[in-house]
Amino acid sequence: MDTIIFLGPPIAISVLLSMILGYFGNHILSRGIIFIDIAVAQIAALGTMIGLLLGFADESFGLQMVSYAFTIIIIGVFAFTKFANQKIPQEAYIGIIYCLGLGLALLLAERISGGSNYISKTITGNILWTTWKDVLISFILFGIIGVFHYFFQKPFRSISNDPAHGDSLKKTRLYDMLFYMTFGIVIVKAVPIGGVFLIFILLIAPAASITLFTQSWKKRLIGSWIIGAVGSVIGIFLSYSLNISNGPAIVCLLGLLTVGLTLLVIVKKSPVGNA
Amino acid sequence: MELLSFMAAPLVATLLMGGILVYFGIHVIKREIVFIDIALAQIAALGGTFAIVLFPHDHEGHSHEGGDFITEYLFALLFTTLAAGLFSILKNKKVKIPLEALIGISYAVATTAMVIILDKGAGSDVHIHDMLTGAILWVSWDQILRLAIIVSVVALIHVLLRKQMIRLTDNYVANEKTIKRKRLLDFLFYFSFGLVIVEAVQIGGILTVFALLIIPASTTLLFFSNWRARILAGLLLIVLLTIPALALSWTWDVPASPVLIFFLGITLLISGLVYQLKKR
Repeated sequence: MDTIIFLGPPIAISVLLSMILGYFGNHILSRGIIFIDIAVAQIAALGTMIGLLLGFADESFGLQMVSYAFTIIIIGVFAFTKFANQKIPQEAYIGIIYCLGLGLALLLAERISGGSNYISKTITGNILWTTWKDVLISFILFGIIGVFHYFFQKPFRSISNDPAHGDSLKKTRLYDMLFYMTFGIVIVKAVPIGGVFLIFILLIAPAASITLFTQSWKKRLIGSWIIGAVGSVIGIFLSYSLNISNGPAIVCLLGLLTVGLTLLVIVKKSPVGNA
Repeated sequence: MELLSFMAAPLVATLLMGGILVYFGIHVIKREIVFIDIALAQIAALGGTFAIVLFPHDHEGHSHEGGDFITEYLFALLFTTLAAGLFSILKNKKVKIPLEALIGISYAVATTAMVIILDKGAGSDVHIHDMLTGAILWVSWDQILRLAIIVSVVALIHVLLRKQMIRLTDNYVANEKTIKRKRLLDFLFYFSFGLVIVEAVQIGGILTVFALLIIPASTTLLFFSNWRARILAGLLLIVLLTIPALALSWTWDVPASPVLIFFLGITLLISGLVYQLKKR
């Protein structure tokens, strides 16, 4: 019983994260911009470090705002480069943004006490330290974004399915801005809780696993929710009983599942039925 | 004069890495698997970590030479080979998800698996940080010799097979079937790439290697479409930027690789603007 009480908030938060990230994951996968969240997380971290340098207190409201400001600027750049130059694939831009963000963060880390520590913290995170208050705040925030996306589901989906679809360039860019901005808010909130790798795997692995078997949006969404939530709960209990860190346990579990399923699909002789 | 002798080794190392990485960069951008090098580097590092756990040695000496080093290297090589095999198998028509997703997942699993293993030991913080930045300023001539040998062998393979390799990459996204011994060729591509990555990351760190791979190849893509022109232009760019970057890092006493990455980024930004203006 004690175990359940102790593991309550981590389980609740990982299920919440699986929900919102499973949804975004299907979009990201269809758009083929797999590493966007790592780049956004890195830029948010860079913003935080610059905020610290400017004299904002650690974990203060002002500091968070600086971090959000950076994220929004970079997302603006990202939505803009989408059509400005199709010669270079978007994924290359993402890589470059990530690289520059991390490079600058490493330079700044030399100037801030404990800066190097901060970089490691962004990478690993720790969901065991989650409180019920964090769960509630995340629930409200993710809920609002979820409702927002429910209303805009059609344009978002059609852009994800086919980047060169009917809408005018201006309209597409506006929708893209909205999409990436809400995505950025989720990532900036989620990364300090779970760390870059847990967020990345919850975003990509469930969506990728289910997309191997079906192309229907509805089935993909529900499938990734189930895989993400069940995977993280099993991962948490596994890490608890084996006494290893929880984030890495979930990452390895879901990651190996996806690679295993992919190999299974390849080995299978007949093509898997499309929905 | 002091500056010159100090800069010689890092400069040679950067040029050796840069030359081969620009070439591979063109490949990976065309294949849309930009993050593959990070995954391969991380998998190689996982192999090295495995070796340390399987054959523990006392950390007091801190010497990275002799038997320990060779076992670590062999394990890194073994893991890279396995990964090369895996990536060439995973590219399959039946798989409805982009290869980049599976590359990302391998990267995440390799990194966190290493965290789990290192948790039992100590010093994981330091390890992650070192792997990112490397220490290009302190590269030794021995390391450069090894790098030169590996780069020449890999370059020779790719010069001999250049037609097949380029054709394979040009048709990679479309996944054409007519290429002979496609899977073997693909394996060879990832394996030779892995060899370069293992060596280059030890010298320059993941981030520098990534920057040298992606940024010059993207920049030259704006102005040239021919492979040879892009490789030469990319190399020229690296020469022109590495010298001031090393000099600055020397005078300001900051790590060299972030400065170089920053310069490369700015060059891409300016090139992008020039390209846009020219188009109008």
